[in-house]
Amino acid sequence: MNRLLSGLFWISLCLILAFITLPLLVVVAASLSPSSMVTFSPADWTMKWYAALWASKWLDPFILSVKIAVIVSLVSGVLGALGAYAVAYEKCPGSEAIMAFLLSPLAVPQIVKGVAIVLFLSSAGLYTLLGTPGLIAGHIVLTLPFAARMIATSIYNFDKNLDRAAQILGASKWQRVRHILLPLIKPGLFSGMTFAFIISFNNIPLSVFLVRPGQTTLPITVINYMEYSLDPVLAAVNVASLIFILTTIFLFEKLGGFSAQIHGGSK
Amino acid sequence: MTIVATDSPAAPALRRFALRGYVPLFPPFAVLLLFFAVPIGMMIGISFQDPKTAQFSLGSYQRFLTDGLIIAGLFRTILMSGLVAICVTVMAYPVAYFLARSTSRWRAIVFALAIAPELAGVVLRTYGWLIILEDRGFVNDALIWLGLVSSPLPLAKNLFGVVVGLTHVVLPFGILALLTSIQGIDPNIEKAAQILGASRLSVIRHILLPLSIPGTVSSLLISFTMAASAYATPALLGGARFKVLATMISEQIMFYINWPMAAVMAIVLLVLMLAITFAGGRVETRLHKKLNV
Amino acid sequence: MTRDIHPGNQQELGKIMKTPTITAAALLTTVTAGHCEQLIVNSYGGPYEAIIMERIIKPFEDKTGISVVYDPVGSSSQDYAKIKATNGRPGFDVVVMTASQSLDGCRDGLLEKFTPATVPNLEKLSPAINKIAGECGAVHELQYMSLLWRTDKLKAAPSSWAALFDSELKGKVILPTFQNIMAANLMQVLSVQNGGDLLNNVDPGFKAMAQLAKQSVGFEQSSAVMETYVKDGQVWAMPFWNGRAQLLVDTGMPVDYIKPVEGTIPLIATLNVPVGTQNKEAAMKFVNFFLEKSSQEAWVTGYKVGSARSDIDVPDAVRAKQITTEEDLDKLLLPDLSIMAAKLPEWGDRWEREVVHAAN
Repeated sequence: MNRLLSGLFWISLCLILAFITLPLLVVVAASLSPSSMVTFSPADWTMKWYAALWASKWLDPFILSVKIAVIVSLVSGVLGALGAYAVAYEKCPGSEAIMAFLLSPLAVPQIVKGVAIVLFLSSAGLYTLLGTPGLIAGHIVLTLPFAARMIATSIYNFDKNLDRAAQILGASKWQRVRHILLPLIKPGLFSGMTFAFIISFNNIPLSVFLVRPGQTTLPITVINYMEYSLDPVLAAVNVASLIFILTTIFLFEKLGGFSAQIHGGSK
Repeated sequence: MTIVATDSPAAPALRRFALRGYVPLFPPFAVLLLFFAVPIGMMIGISFQDPKTAQFSLGSYQRFLTDGLIIAGLFRTILMSGLVAICVTVMAYPVAYFLARSTSRWRAIVFALAIAPELAGVVLRTYGWLIILEDRGFVNDALIWLGLVSSPLPLAKNLFGVVVGLTHVVLPFGILALLTSIQGIDPNIEKAAQILGASRLSVIRHILLPLSIPGTVSSLLISFTMAASAYATPALLGGARFKVLATMISEQIMFYINWPMAAVMAIVLLVLMLAITFAGGRVETRLHKKLNV
Repeated sequence: MTRDIHPGNQQELGKIMKTPTITAAALLTTVTAGHCEQLIVNSYGGPYEAIIMERIIKPFEDKTGISVVYDPVGSSSQDYAKIKATNGRPGFDVVVMTASQSLDGCRDGLLEKFTPATVPNLEKLSPAINKIAGECGAVHELQYMSLLWRTDKLKAAPSSWAALFDSELKGKVILPTFQNIMAANLMQVLSVQNGGDLLNNVDPGFKAMAQLAKQSVGFEQSSAVMETYVKDGQVWAMPFWNGRAQLLVDTGMPVDYIKPVEGTIPLIATLNVPVGTQNKEAAMKFVNFFLEKSSQEAWVTGYKVGSARSDIDVPDAVRAKQITTEEDLDKLLLPDLSIMAAKLPEWGDRWEREVVHAAN
């Protein structure tokens, strides 16, 4: 009986992991296949779909997505740090309510936020903000709660005695913020910013309402393309953007060293 | 700006300090007000307008409640999200248990496999599933080649396809939710029970499952809410025959130009989400209390 | 490393605290500023995109030096929804829609009116044909809804829409989604075939569509995806615009298309310029360029469609299967497009209820 159970457990574990990896493998194979028939024989594999990506059709949206993700991650980092500082460090009265407000966008489905923003911009006559400005604003609303929460968590975790010691030794407030608080919350800040970057770069439900012609992000370009065809260039673009994301995370990790933080932050 | 509060103990200075504490909040609050609170408020306002005359009207709410098509969309949303929540939780459980208890070198690999797909974005995974599930996809090709079926099974462009795709998208979150919960259970309890002669099955039934109920509930909740508000997966894997609230909302905006109707659908989705989260939260706290006693 | 980061952060903090709104506004505007002269043209993706790029857009860029950004997003009705939602500032400067949206947009004041002064080539078009699209639409292509079929799968050549209902086509038909105007058109011709009419008494049309839905493998929005079903043999017959059908025939596929005996509805495709465009001059240039004799010839031979210009030189074989004259058009069923546009939301609802539902 016990053996049967543990056998079942291992089989189901393997099946589930296969389920998780299968679509990814298929996409990678598709991106290397010579025609739209997916082949798994490496002898036939070709890089031509990747070469096809070097065209403004794919490069422009990619560059725009990167630009937006960078701005969003920087602004979310700064705004999140400011919010977390007031709530978790200064502990100003009402900080719980303030944190609740900062986190409130999380309670609203993305598509609802997207609808709200596009209706707001359209009915207020702010059409010119659709496209890049609207995308940035929308993505910031989306990512700010994550950044604020992760940074606040790292401020909560930080040892107040260090701060007190510095104060006793005559350090000014700014000196303490700069030399004690900021270095200590750096992992939280970086993980918040990395999160913001990934969320912005991959976003669909919000972006789908906010893009405009000539200012369309990569994922939206991809789903628009899928309306017309399912050829392997789609697989190539997806794999390339996954590689880009992994590289970015690696770089952020090198800069900020936050991996220990992610677990604490996402609880 | 540089020296604050410590220079003077007088009351006005203290007050100023207190207010100063709020200053850093201005930028994040301004952004959230302008691009979140105001738009949501406006959306609620628009939901009470007539689509043609923009006069006050409850017409769109009335239509939502009486239109069989829309109700069917709501029902599909709930059915789909419910199925996804169950599939995710059932599948996440063994993985989370392995991650919580294993000390082998496979642990890191399994962790990476389980979480990394999240970074790939929804499009990549949905595209993968399309290739697999399409009428001319992998599964159907294999089944036909094996002679098990003569014409392709409808695997995509319906409930089945959407549930498979969404389960894949949401699974990592279910795993994380259960992992946190199972890690909180002292492994010694299981060991003690086994030493005392309990079978694996009864350990699972009487110790593991009851103690991990909070994690199970939160996995169900996260999965349900994520599935109900997903857009790309139902749009790409559901097609014309499987429309859910999220895809109907975008249709109202991008095809029918009926903003009030879109606003009403969005509000219903929001209320559904808040109600589920609230109810689930209540269940969770109650279970926590029960288990701690 | 920490030292590098802090001064920047500090500055950023200070700046933002002092003038939060200005910073935000500046951030939002700087990213959009600085676009050089470019024309954004919205049309369709798939094979269409490759042909328009080669035959029209590249020559236009070479001739005028204006760079064109191609936006292959959305169906005509989705494009029009965008124009309406943004009050004429959808972000594209020229858009390919149909006569139906041209009339609507003109009435709502959302589309630019063309005059011989801004688009000289307008006078070269058949006046009767261009009149259908109104003052805001420049007809650049004509097609009709044909019945496309696999010559290697069907036992006999079809002649009527009734062939779609044949039992040998069970599960071998694909239908457009309602976002594709072909859906409404198909319902209309079936209505006429079954004793109804094009606009007011369409019950017979929906009844027939519901029956047809049971024959179908499903619904797809774009023609490009619909044709993949025919290519791999999953679908043996479907309604299809004749230009696209001819393209398929030309690839050597075992397919052919017919104009069914009951008649069919034309697709009068138009170029339009939204009122809010900032590149009005370049947009008009593009519209005029598309209507040039040489461009129309390139387009007619490239995309296999008909033209409203009668002075173009095209092989007779091409002309024979196309709409090129007023007489050709008169033989087709032409519903009043404004009335039809007003009916679309109601029909969309019925489509979901009666047609899509029947397919389940």
